Amino acid sequence: MDTPSLSGSAASGGRLLHLHRSGGSSFRRRLRPGGGASEAGTPLGGVSYVSTPIPDDDAFDVGADKYLLAKTYFDCREYRRAAHVLRGQAGRKAVFLRCYALYTAGEKRKEEETIELEGSLGKSNAINQELVALERELSTHRRTGAIDSFGLYLYGIVLRDKDCEGLARTVLVESVNSYPWNWSAWLELQSLCTSSDILNNLNLKNHWMKDFFLASAHLELKMHEEALKRYECLMRVFRCSDYIQAQIATVQYSMRDLDEADMIFEELLRTDPFRVDSMDVYSNLLYAKESSTALSFLAHRVFLTDKYRPESCCIIANYYSLKGQHEKSVLYFQRALKLNRKYLSAWTLMGHEFVELKNTPAAIDAYRRAVDINPRDYRAWYGLGQIYEMMGMPFYGLYYFRKSSYLQPNDARPWNAMAQCYESDQLQMIEEAIKCYERSANSNDTEGIALHQLGKLHSMLGQSEEAAFYYKKDLERIEAEERQGQNFVEALLFLAKYCKNIGRFEEAELYCTKLLDYTGPENETAKIFCKG
Amino acid sequence: MAFEGVCHLLANLVEYCNSSETSYDFAEDEAFNSEIEMSNFMDANIHVRDAIFDKYSKGYAPESHMGEGSSSLVHASTSLHDFDEGIFKAEDNPDCLRSRWQLEAYLNQQADILEKDPSLVPLNSFNATMSQLQALAPELHRVQFLQYLNALTHDDYIAALDNLHRYFDYSAGMQGIFSRSSSSFQDIIVGKYESALLCLGNLHCYFGHPKKALEAFTEAVRVSQMNNDDSCLAYILGAISNLLSKIGMSSTIGTIGSPYSLGNNIGLGTPLSIQQQLLVLLKRSLKRADTLKLTSLVSFDHLSLAKFDLKHVQRPLVSFGPNAYTKLRTCPADVCKNLRLSSHVLTDFGVDGLSASSDNGSFSTSWLRNLSAASNSWCSSSTKSRKVLTNDFDNFHFHAQPSPIPAAVLQLAGSAYLLRATAWEHYGSAPMVRMNSLVYATCFADAASSSELSLAYVKLIQHLAAFKGYSAAFSALKLAEEKFPSTANSHIQLLKMQLLHERALHRGQLKIAQQICDEFGVLSSSVSGVDIELKTEASLRHARTLLAAKQFSQAANVANSLFSTCYKYNMQVENANVLLLLAEIHKNSDNAVLGLPYALASQSFCKSFNLDLLEASATLTLAELWLALGSTHAKRALSLACQSLPMILGHGGMELRARAHIVLAKCHLSDPKFKVTEDPCSVLDPLNQAVEDLQVLEYHEMAAEAYYLKALVYNNLGKLDEREEAAASFREHTIALENPYNEADSLSY
Repeated sequence: MDTPSLSGSAASGGRLLHLHRSGGSSFRRRLRPGGGASEAGTPLGGVSYVSTPIPDDDAFDVGADKYLLAKTYFDCREYRRAAHVLRGQAGRKAVFLRCYALYTAGEKRKEEETIELEGSLGKSNAINQELVALERELSTHRRTGAIDSFGLYLYGIVLRDKDCEGLARTVLVESVNSYPWNWSAWLELQSLCTSSDILNNLNLKNHWMKDFFLASAHLELKMHEEALKRYECLMRVFRCSDYIQAQIATVQYSMRDLDEADMIFEELLRTDPFRVDSMDVYSNLLYAKESSTALSFLAHRVFLTDKYRPESCCIIANYYSLKGQHEKSVLYFQRALKLNRKYLSAWTLMGHEFVELKNTPAAIDAYRRAVDINPRDYRAWYGLGQIYEMMGMPFYGLYYFRKSSYLQPNDARPWNAMAQCYESDQLQMIEEAIKCYERSANSNDTEGIALHQLGKLHSMLGQSEEAAFYYKKDLERIEAEERQGQNFVEALLFLAKYCKNIGRFEEAELYCTKLLDYTGPENETAKIFCKG
Repeated sequence: MAFEGVCHLLANLVEYCNSSETSYDFAEDEAFNSEIEMSNFMDANIHVRDAIFDKYSKGYAPESHMGEGSSSLVHASTSLHDFDEGIFKAEDNPDCLRSRWQLEAYLNQQADILEKDPSLVPLNSFNATMSQLQALAPELHRVQFLQYLNALTHDDYIAALDNLHRYFDYSAGMQGIFSRSSSSFQDIIVGKYESALLCLGNLHCYFGHPKKALEAFTEAVRVSQMNNDDSCLAYILGAISNLLSKIGMSSTIGTIGSPYSLGNNIGLGTPLSIQQQLLVLLKRSLKRADTLKLTSLVSFDHLSLAKFDLKHVQRPLVSFGPNAYTKLRTCPADVCKNLRLSSHVLTDFGVDGLSASSDNGSFSTSWLRNLSAASNSWCSSSTKSRKVLTNDFDNFHFHAQPSPIPAAVLQLAGSAYLLRATAWEHYGSAPMVRMNSLVYATCFADAASSSELSLAYVKLIQHLAAFKGYSAAFSALKLAEEKFPSTANSHIQLLKMQLLHERALHRGQLKIAQQICDEFGVLSSSVSGVDIELKTEASLRHARTLLAAKQFSQAANVANSLFSTCYKYNMQVENANVLLLLAEIHKNSDNAVLGLPYALASQSFCKSFNLDLLEASATLTLAELWLALGSTHAKRALSLACQSLPMILGHGGMELRARAHIVLAKCHLSDPKFKVTEDPCSVLDPLNQAVEDLQVLEYHEMAAEAYYLKALVYNNLGKLDEREEAAASFREHTIALENPYNEADSLSY
């Protein structure tokens, strides 16, 4: 059956591919009637679900031969031929297949045209030529009621391509309500839910597929806690689902719980060694953890499994990037983007690579494309800000950091970046910088920049009391993490001076003795302090 | 050309040829009579098939089909000719090709319209059109710039900011606003981020964020210095001076915190006052623009300098020793010189045949403009043709023929006239104000933006109100409102409130006056330093209202605090006004001795800023104050009043003239040596004049005074009938003043 675990790849895969699958699945379902109904009975703890409606199919005999022929052509990717065979057929399924074949043919032509006109990464002005006719036909069918859930699904994507998002949402909701197992329809619906308000206002029946949808949509909207809760609920029912496991790992990764996610991914790979879905997330994780051996292993394996999947290309690109071969990395990202032009994270990551290569215009372009695909991608906003900061335009860059921190308010990094802009030589807006650092320190700044900078800025402004407070906190943090370094020395030195000035000599002595452990000029200063 | 490209070309050509014939049939068969077209974006002769576009084109009036046949020919050939530049296919009309050139021409025109009169362009439908264009031509990033302009003119801060950043991110500076004319390869590599910053600064300036705007400009200065972009630097300096002159700031210290701050850039160690900085910046900008031959910027800088000279005393930056001669006066000759020089942009344009492309920058968004000149002949937009109908002054403009002078140049030349009118307003010559405004309204109406044109109208109507009374002014205002809806146009709205307030004060409808004052206060932004002129005017009017209500101490308080604000922001011209008001307050509260120093101070302010009319009126007040001190000073008062008479009778409005006449009469009457019976005409003539003027103005309080004096004179002369008549009129006006009738409709006119 078309459970998420089967078509989960479609979420990140190319659109053509995944549409193809859902078309196939409808057919398979047809051949084994009843399978859905038995699953629909599965109750989930305490929630009453509606029973799954079974669409009343046309009698199998009506044009069955032609339908089979068309289906075969379709599977052979001869779309126009399939549509031609079905001309004049009025059965719902025949209509769906014909329209779907036409749509796919149009999509195919569109892709070809894009490449012919603009090159593979150009922004194309090509459009699916079939959309107008399809919309006209499907809307009549919908009005007369002669349409099944798959037809509605197709109508939904046609509407989406024509930028009628509101209507598209309504139609897709109708589709999933009448036939909940079409995961592709759910995914299209999810891509149209760009804010939690829209999501909450959907009129969905209480089917268990809705839980999958909501979990995934929450993940997409960065409502990580809700997503995790839902997935854990689902995990209790679907115990062996790889898909749910992978999603949980993705959530953990997004919540920056790297170790937990790492464990789940490893487990996943053990049970399903040739998996490519979600593995790009795993590669990002490994990149972030800088574990090059694991990443290398992963890259080599997906390379052998299926090197022409966008995910694979992305994984390989990450691998090269970690090795410092940025040109090659860019090449692979470009390949991933050729395979799927809407591959969001590839755009962002390619932007990072261009930054490494010091190719600022290209980096800006890549980030901008990412942001335009999904305006909620805080990493791309952050990247844009970083570039402008690098170019010596901190004030201009602030706009992007502000966007980034707005999308990820509990992430310390955008706040730190903003603060650094404010305290840059050019702006020197110390007060604002302090505000940003405070915000950063409150949102669990793992890099520990904020506390140190707060101490420094306050001491610059002559507010030694506040400075001492933050330096002390910073000291505690450094000691807890058992790290040492220049920051540690600076904090000690300041505190020693400060305590001495306000007459708390014992404390000052304590700091001085700690300082004595270090070599360098501070050591001498500490000695002088101790004497004086 | 690649094989696929040839295939495309051929296929599309065939379709194009086929369709242009069928669409003609279509139009006749299915009666596409709605003729709604997306103006010149769609072709003039191919009808839009899809009904969806109806909603996009709501804003555009139906277009006339002139030269239909020939334009289609031209069209087909240009699209073939420009094939390499890019092909754009309209979604609804797949057979209709557009060259990039044509699209850009369309964008130019839209930018012009946006700048001229944003209220003509509906925000959402324009955005829809633009996003349509964007979908069809994703590489044409200017569309985003237009969206930015659209959002800006419709006061949508967030959208404007987003679109601005998007535009400059995508074009990565390559389509920077100045790069069109001189786009060497180097420029493209370096990028034009400084122009992004310049636009950002202008955006913040527009929305009234002076600090942010200054930050953006300083960064722009830095980046353009880094990239050796001299022309951009010149523009930035111009923009900064524009900002400094517009927005009240007591000092830049604390706003520009960086070591690169403008103060240090100037090269003087001591921190300068904001006015000094402004002057230095303007001069630098002017010099730079002059060497770079940026004609429009030169003209703009001259205008700004004239504006500066009008209101500020030029002090030398560094004066050595006590002997350094400083003349603490403004110099009208400088103003005139700068105004004259700024108009040279027109002649320069004619002589050099300079294209305005490179010089106009963000002030006029005319980076697009020169493009349209060539292709404008066919794309006479429907909006424009509608304008032709409504604009009375546009009869000469044959709209198939492009104007030989770009609108931006005309605009600059026009603003010189507008500024001239303002200058004469300050110096106090009513006929000159009227003449210059008239010149502007007749000669430059075509190129002017709606706000500037309405300003000219405002000046004319103010003139009417002062010389012909309120009824004439209000009927003119009605006409102006038809042209510029007052909800959209702040100038007209302001004028309406000013007129209403003054009329309410004259009629003694104090509640209404107070109400309008409150409305004034709401109009200005709450951020300190922004809308400073509006705020000044609001509190000035507030003080006047309080004075009329005889709440002297409160009025004095308001005026005092206003004085300190004006002093803080260095608004000396306004100070002259405030001081005069203070003198009036003290005069009316029978504190003539206290009033004298204020009047004298106001007079000296007026002298140093050459505000002749205001000075005359200050002198008049001084005369009144002396008169109030007792009859022994009548002689002195009379000589003062006579001193001010030539100026007042020559240039003053009706109110001022009436006041002068009454003062004259009073001086004579209180002079113990003066005998009415000997020379009744010297008293009665001015009084009659005053009464005449005051009747028109409906100024009850002063009219009552005049009638009272008249009655007294007649009494002395023994003419009882006339006396009774004057007394009756006096009574009438007093009653009218005490019982202001039908207050309800006095907000209407």
